[in-house]
Amino acid sequence: MQLPIFAFSGPKDWALVALAALILALLPVVFDDPFFILVMQSLAYLFIVTLGLDILVGWTGQISLGHAGLYAVGAYTTALASARLGLPFWLSAPLGVALAGLFGAALAVPSLRAKGPYLAMVTIAFGFMAEVTSNRWSLTGGPMGIMSIPPPTLPDGSEMTATQYFWLIAGVALLCHLLAANLFRSRMGRTLLALQGSEIAAQSVGVNVYRYKVLAFVISSVYAGIGGVFFAHQNGFINSDTFVFSLSVSLLTSALMGGSGTLFGPLVGSVILNLIPTVFASLHDYHLYIYGGIILVTIVFLPRGIVGSLQQMPALRRLRRPPAVITPDRSVLDFARDSAQDGPVLVVRGLAKSFGGIRALSGVDVAIKRGTVHGLIGPNGSGKSTFVNVVTGVFRASAGKIMLGERELPPQGPHRMAQHGITRTFQSIRLFVDLSVIDNVMVGFHLQLKSGLWAHLLQTRAAVAEEAAYRGKAMALLELVGIAERAHDPAQNLSYGQQRLLEIARALAARPQLLMLDEPAAGVNPTELHHLSRIIRDIKAAGVTLLVIEHHMELIMGISDVISVFDFGQKISEGSAAAVREDKKVIEAYLGVAEADHDGAVHA
Amino acid sequence: MSLFFAKLWQALVSGLSIGSIYALIAEGYYITFVTTGALNFGQGEFLMIGALFGLTCYVTFGLPYAVAVIAAVLLTGVMGAALERGAIRPVMRHALSLSWVLSTVAVSIILKNAAVNLWGPEQIKFPSPFGEAVLQIGSAGIFPQELFIIVAALGTVFAVQMFLRRSLLGKALIAVAFNRNAAAVMGINVPRMVVFAFVLSSALAGLGGILIAPITFAWAYMGTVPGIKAFAAAIFGGLENPIGILIGGLVIGLLEQLLGMVNSNLKEGITFFFILIVLAIRPTGLMGRREITKV
Repeated sequence: MQLPIFAFSGPKDWALVALAALILALLPVVFDDPFFILVMQSLAYLFIVTLGLDILVGWTGQISLGHAGLYAVGAYTTALASARLGLPFWLSAPLGVALAGLFGAALAVPSLRAKGPYLAMVTIAFGFMAEVTSNRWSLTGGPMGIMSIPPPTLPDGSEMTATQYFWLIAGVALLCHLLAANLFRSRMGRTLLALQGSEIAAQSVGVNVYRYKVLAFVISSVYAGIGGVFFAHQNGFINSDTFVFSLSVSLLTSALMGGSGTLFGPLVGSVILNLIPTVFASLHDYHLYIYGGIILVTIVFLPRGIVGSLQQMPALRRLRRPPAVITPDRSVLDFARDSAQDGPVLVVRGLAKSFGGIRALSGVDVAIKRGTVHGLIGPNGSGKSTFVNVVTGVFRASAGKIMLGERELPPQGPHRMAQHGITRTFQSIRLFVDLSVIDNVMVGFHLQLKSGLWAHLLQTRAAVAEEAAYRGKAMALLELVGIAERAHDPAQNLSYGQQRLLEIARALAARPQLLMLDEPAAGVNPTELHHLSRIIRDIKAAGVTLLVIEHHMELIMGISDVISVFDFGQKISEGSAAAVREDKKVIEAYLGVAEADHDGAVHA
Repeated sequence: MSLFFAKLWQALVSGLSIGSIYALIAEGYYITFVTTGALNFGQGEFLMIGALFGLTCYVTFGLPYAVAVIAAVLLTGVMGAALERGAIRPVMRHALSLSWVLSTVAVSIILKNAAVNLWGPEQIKFPSPFGEAVLQIGSAGIFPQELFIIVAALGTVFAVQMFLRRSLLGKALIAVAFNRNAAAVMGINVPRMVVFAFVLSSALAGLGGILIAPITFAWAYMGTVPGIKAFAAAIFGGLENPIGILIGGLVIGLLEQLLGMVNSNLKEGITFFFILIVLAIRPTGLMGRREITKV
C-alpha cells in the first residue's frame, strides 16, 4: 500500500484542482465531436465506479466481484423512477444512488466476517442475483429492458446537451475523487488501512471494525450507484445484457490495473481498460484474447498496478513531500494523573475459560491495584495470555466476573473494553504494517478524535487542526518509548524490539487506565531491555496501571510491585517479588518437584 | 397427483445428476485450495473445453466415448499444469492475496475466445452414448445419461478421496496441504505436488464437461454458470471439507431442480440467495472449520 504522491493540503493543490476542472470543462468544447463526448461521458462515470471499488479493494483489502450488481441498482432505480413514475432527473438520480447505498449496507452484513474466497463468494452471489433479477423480473424487463428513459434535464426542465451532461458527470467525478482523496488521508483512510494490518489490534484501541467495514461498503456502493445512474440516462435504454459478471471482472481489473490504494490508480486503470473496446473495435473476433491477456499481464507483471509501480521508481519517490516537522506535545500522558486514587483498577473473580475440553483458565481471582505494576508469570501454557485475552474481550469468559473498580462489566468485544480504559500489546506483534510509525500511534487516538465522516470528507478546519494537535501528542509518545526519530518510516522497517515499543506507544494513545503488556521483552536485546524497564517505570510514574506478562525474571522482579503466578490455569501464588521467589509452589511449577530432578540441573 | 410425483422424481434425478457435477468440480476447488490457498475461477471453462474437445473426439473423429473421456481428461489435466505455471505460481507472492482470482478469470476469458474461434459460438448437440431414449421408471421419464452422470461423478469423487487417503502420492498431497514446510522437510517436492493438484483439479472439471454435455449442449459459454455454482457448493460445504463439498453440490443441485418445478425464475437465483444466507450465519460455510484466532 502506497500513500499518495500528492496530497491535497494547500493552495497549490487547489490550483491543481482548478486546472483539472478547467481541462475537463474545455475538453468537449475543443474536441466537439458527438462520439468523442459520448466516450468521455462513459469514461467519467466508469471512473467513479472504479474509484468506489478501489475504496473497497485498496483500503479495506476486500475484493468485490459483484459491483455490476450495485451499478445495476443505481441504473434500474433511476430508469424505473423516471420512465415509469415520471420523476424528474434531479429526483430519480439521487434515489438511484441512495438505493445502491442501501444495498451496499445490506451486502456488508454477510461480508463482515467472511474472508478470502468466502468473501469473494458473497460478492459473486450478489452480482449473480442482480444479473438474474434484471434478466427475469418483469419489472426490469429482462433482455427487452427499459425503453425511453428520459434524458437528463437542467433545473429549468429543459434537456441537457451532450456537452452539458459531460460537464455534470465530470464535475461529479472530480468531486468524488476529491472526497475520496480527503477521506483517504484522513482518520478514516488510516483506520481502514489499519484494519488491513490487524483487525484485532485496531479493536484493542477502540475501533469498531464492523462499523468501518460497513462504511467502506456503503461509500463504495454509493459510487457504483452514481455510475449506474449516469449510465442509464446517457443511453436512454438499459437491459440485462449490461449487468453481468464480466462487467464486475472488468471493474475490478481496472481498479487493480491502475494500482489499488493509490490516488490516481483508479483514473489510469479505468481510462485505459475502458478505452480498449473502442480502440480494438475492429478486432472483434479477438477482443477477448486481448482483454484476458491484458488482465493476466497486469496481474502477473504489475502487481501494484501502473501508478503503484511508478511510485516505486526512485526518481518519483524523491518527489514525495518531506514530512512536516512535528513538535511533541508532552501533555499526552496527563490524563492518568488525576485518576491516581487508591483501590483496585481491575478485579477479576473466578475467571474461567475453556477451549473445547481444554481448560485454559479455571477460576482465577486477581485484583490489580491502581498505580502499580502488576507482574504475571508462569510456565508456558499456564493461562497468562488467555487471561489478557479474556479481560480485553478478545475471548468471552466461560465463567467469572470482570470488574472495573466497583463496576461489573458485561462480556463485550475488545473495542468496548478499550472504551473502558483497558488496552494491550500483543505477544506476537500486531502492527498496522501499511502505516508509518506515527500513523500507528495516531490510530491509537481513535477514541479521542472527534471529527466525523463529513468533517473528513470536506477536510474542515476543525478536522485539520485536530489532526495536527494529535500528531504532536503522537510524537510525544514516540519520544517516551524512544523511537521518535523513526516516526515517518514504515512500521514494518522497525527492529523487532522497536516494534514492541511502538505497540506500547499505540496502546498508550488510547488513554488506558490499565495497560496490559503481553511479553514486552520477548526477542528484545539486552540494551533494549534496560530501556524497556525504564519505559515501564515512566508509564507507571505517569499514573497508568500496568499488567506485565513476562518470562524474563530479572525484568519482572525488578519492576513489579506485586506478582501473580499462574500454573495450569490457576493462580498458585501472589505477593512481592521476594515472597514469590521463595514460594515452594512457584519453585515446583518452574523446576519440577525436587525428587524428580535427579541430576540436580536446573531446567527453567 | 401422479403427474406431480413423476415430475418430482424427474427433478430429484436431474438434481442429483447436476448436483454430482457441481460436487465433482467443487472437489477440484478443494484440492487446490488446501494445497495452495488458491483455486481456479476458470474451472467452468475447463469443463467447457472438456466437453468440446470430447465432442471433437467422439463425433468428429468417431472415437469410442470412453476414449473421448480419457482424451478430454488428459487435455484438461495438461492445461491445469500450464495454468499453475502461467497464472497461479507467478501471482502467489503478490501483496494482494487474491490476485489469483483475477489471473484465473483472465485465463478463462482467453479460453472462451479460443473456444469461439475453434468451435464457433453456437450450441452444439452432444449425442449421448446411451441413446436419447427416455427411460420410464414408474411414471417418471429419465435420461440414462443422467443416471450415468450420477454414478460416474460420485464414483470419481469417491475414488479421488480414496486416492488422497490411501496412496502414497495422495498422502503426499495431503501432507503439503497440512503443512507445506514440514512436507518439504520430509522430502516431498512441494512445487511438483502443487502442479499435480492443479492437474487433478482441472482433469475433474474436464471430466465433468464431457459427462454433462449430452444433457445440456456443448458450446463456448456453457461453463461459467456451472463453475460458479460449483464454487457456491464448495463454499456451502466449507472449502476444506471434502464431505461438506459433496453434500453442498448435491444440495444445490436438488434445491435448484425442486424449486424449478415451482418457478423457473427462482431456479436461477436461489443458489446465490441461499449461499448469502449461509455465509451471513456461518462465514466459513455450513460445514467449514470455524476459525479460532490465536492472539
